[in-house]
Amino acid sequence: MSSEPNADRESLQRNDTVVRTERLYGWAIAASALLTILVTVGIVLALLGEALTFWSAVSPLSFFTGTKWSPIIDGEYGLLPLVSGTLIVTVGSALIALPTGLAAALYLSEYASERTRSVLKPALEILAGVPTVIYGYMALVYITPLFQGILPVSIRLIPPGLEPLPAFTLVIPSLQTFNVLSASIVVGIMIIPMVSSISEDALRSVPDELRAAAYGLGSTKYDVSTKVVVPAATSGIVASFVLALSRAIGETMAVTMAMGMSPQLPYFPNVFRNLAESSQTMTGAMVQIASADSLGGVTYEAMFALGLTLFLITLSMNVAAELVRRRFREVYQ
Amino acid sequence: MAVDGDTDRTLSVDSRGRLWGLHATLFEAGLFGATLFGIVSLCILFGYIAFDAFQPLTASIRWYLLIAGTLILPTAAGTLYARRQPAVRAANAKAFGVVGGALVAALCTYIVVDALSPYDVALVLLFGGYLPAVFTLLVRRTNRTTQLGPTAILSVGGGLAIAHGGYDLLRPIVGTAAQWIAYFAIVTLPVAFGLWIVGRRRWTRQTARRAVLAVIVSVLLLVVLALGLGIDPSFWVVLLSVGAIPVAVVIGEIVVLDPAGRLGAAGPFVLIGCLSVFLAVERQLGLEGPDGYLTTTLLLESWHGLDASSAGVYPQIVGSIVIVGVMGVLAFPVGIGAALYLEEYAQRSGWRGRVATLLEVNISNLAGVPSVVYGLLGLALFRNALGFPTGIVLSAAGTLGLLILPIVVVSAQEALRSVPDSLREAAVGMGASRWQTLRTVVLPEALPGMLTGTILALARAIGETAPLVIIAVATTKYSPPDGILSSATVLPLQIFAARSNVDPAFRHGIVPAAAVVLLVLLLLMNTTAIVVRNRFDRRSQQ
Repeated sequence: MSSEPNADRESLQRNDTVVRTERLYGWAIAASALLTILVTVGIVLALLGEALTFWSAVSPLSFFTGTKWSPIIDGEYGLLPLVSGTLIVTVGSALIALPTGLAAALYLSEYASERTRSVLKPALEILAGVPTVIYGYMALVYITPLFQGILPVSIRLIPPGLEPLPAFTLVIPSLQTFNVLSASIVVGIMIIPMVSSISEDALRSVPDELRAAAYGLGSTKYDVSTKVVVPAATSGIVASFVLALSRAIGETMAVTMAMGMSPQLPYFPNVFRNLAESSQTMTGAMVQIASADSLGGVTYEAMFALGLTLFLITLSMNVAAELVRRRFREVYQ
Repeated sequence: MAVDGDTDRTLSVDSRGRLWGLHATLFEAGLFGATLFGIVSLCILFGYIAFDAFQPLTASIRWYLLIAGTLILPTAAGTLYARRQPAVRAANAKAFGVVGGALVAALCTYIVVDALSPYDVALVLLFGGYLPAVFTLLVRRTNRTTQLGPTAILSVGGGLAIAHGGYDLLRPIVGTAAQWIAYFAIVTLPVAFGLWIVGRRRWTRQTARRAVLAVIVSVLLLVVLALGLGIDPSFWVVLLSVGAIPVAVVIGEIVVLDPAGRLGAAGPFVLIGCLSVFLAVERQLGLEGPDGYLTTTLLLESWHGLDASSAGVYPQIVGSIVIVGVMGVLAFPVGIGAALYLEEYAQRSGWRGRVATLLEVNISNLAGVPSVVYGLLGLALFRNALGFPTGIVLSAAGTLGLLILPIVVVSAQEALRSVPDSLREAAVGMGASRWQTLRTVVLPEALPGMLTGTILALARAIGETAPLVIIAVATTKYSPPDGILSSATVLPLQIFAARSNVDPAFRHGIVPAAAVVLLVLLLLMNTTAIVVRNRFDRRSQQ
């Protein structure tokens, strides 16, 4: 830091204070980077510690294969009803979000003008920015009554004397106050941007040469979009689907508020009943335990076991999405 | 993006081709419909909420006519006029931005300081802010500028330690001053100092000095006036210092320096005038406005579980702002530090390179961890390991801070990446060390981008509920938090807690109104982020 033009080699060296200060800042910055690793370590340790205590009281086998979840009343810790509730709401929201999100991505990347895109893309992002507690409230207070007004109509289609033939009649029962359908709808709406923005990135990164070549062979825009661009971007699209599903699995407030608190195993063969009745997800069960008056004991530790299961599921899905994206990405020179 | 493919029309005009054309049109329409599906559904749901919160059908037609005549018509006319004149439009946007921003800032400052007790805030600011600043300035005089950074950090830390250790001794001394003096120290002095910094750069030294003097004198005059009238001057000191002075500066600059846009600067004041005309006429004619639930009671009172007409969410609003603010203070430096390490310090090869890759992968995985799991981490960390009482501001803010850390890091990384390498090379070429390059060249350039990302992360955190339920934050509280160690609740938790209340006045009234308040807070934060980003974009284009 010398200002002398003819300074010798000695004075060109930074003085010790500067070097030491530099090192101090370097360490401080490295420490804050290290903190992000510590968060992960903290999550794993916190979950594992309490979960292991839980599994020493309740055997892991009965936890993972038990068919009844009733921690507070009966002390039954069977995970399967919660997994079923989580899966049903995830599938329901995927039915809404995956096609819609992919179509939106295709529209934004291939069809929309630059101007339309600049309006629609931020508008889609808003869907993910609305607090989930508001989504849950909307599902409970506005969407459920809306469907309750429609659905009893279809229930009158079944004549009362024909019980032996239930498989041939389409039974859509009336909705309970808490139901899976409304939760699936709001979760589906809130994960649309997840699908659309990641898929759109994948679609837009398909090089224009491929499109030009297809047009040169006489393809229409429809052909180019569906037969060239989408197949070329499959890895990114699949990754976006997996990430969106992982988000739906971890979603908490909307499903807690809209689905109620009665864990159920799935109904067969009447699948619509699964949507119409109340159920509970893993996240919902965690919220229920946490809002119970007393925190402590086996039930409290069960919350951590649930959290660990949830963490491992979403982590493996996120890793899988990343692997799919890397492994099957078409590389264009 | 795509190559235009419609030229094949001329090649095939037979019926089959036409059928294909129809097919393609339907496909495109379907895609467009799918894009709109989510947006339209959300708009309908928002419509339901707004309808319940405002109850627009309860107002008379004449009231709507009045509102159209006094508010909507002038606004529409102004907008139409401004659209044709770019200078007016720019000045108009700037004026509305500063008036709205300053009003919101003044209100937030007042309610937060009022909740935390002005004397405590003044004490912390005195020892953690003013004395370190004076000390650092003294060190600066001694020509050892390289020690400035550590000196500042150490003196702030030392000052805070003194304030904490000597609280019992110092608090009564500070408490003897009048309340407005505390507010003067908290609000007016920093504003005057900021004006001095900005003014010295934009105008001459002398003008800046005069402006600072004018600020202090006008605030003191206001205090004398209020004391003379027998009103408590505290709120008005905050309103004048935070609300009016930035407005005066910005509007004054437009009027003096931008003759073409001068008319646009009048926009917000015309609107305020229209509003007062509207209120006066409404009262004069005795017109009934809508009997909605978004009232001053809702904004200023505390919760009442049985009587909808006296239920309010003031403690929840203050709790949300305080928790999110503390969270920002905790998460911003760490997030920026991690981003600086990854972008500026990390090496790409060897074991350190592997550590950097691990950090990157880890951060992207943390962003995908469900928010309930962060609640469990917060529970284990703050309640079980550190032994904090349940539901205090610090543990709530810490938990949410861990949750938004990946978002802050990723956005700060993007901001750092957008700083061109030529700037870094120029600084290094002039002999600056790595930290000097960062501090003087890279950070100022990247700061707006980092702020944008952080504000968006704060907006995400203000709606977050699940982790707070897990760490057992109280759902209903009747007073705002009075320190970072006191318990608090937030707006989304109150909405969650009120879901089981089936009284229509709550279910289709108070709760939707609280949701509107939450959405407005979100909207304000997102607007701030967009304004910061736009300013940044404009500067980097020049």
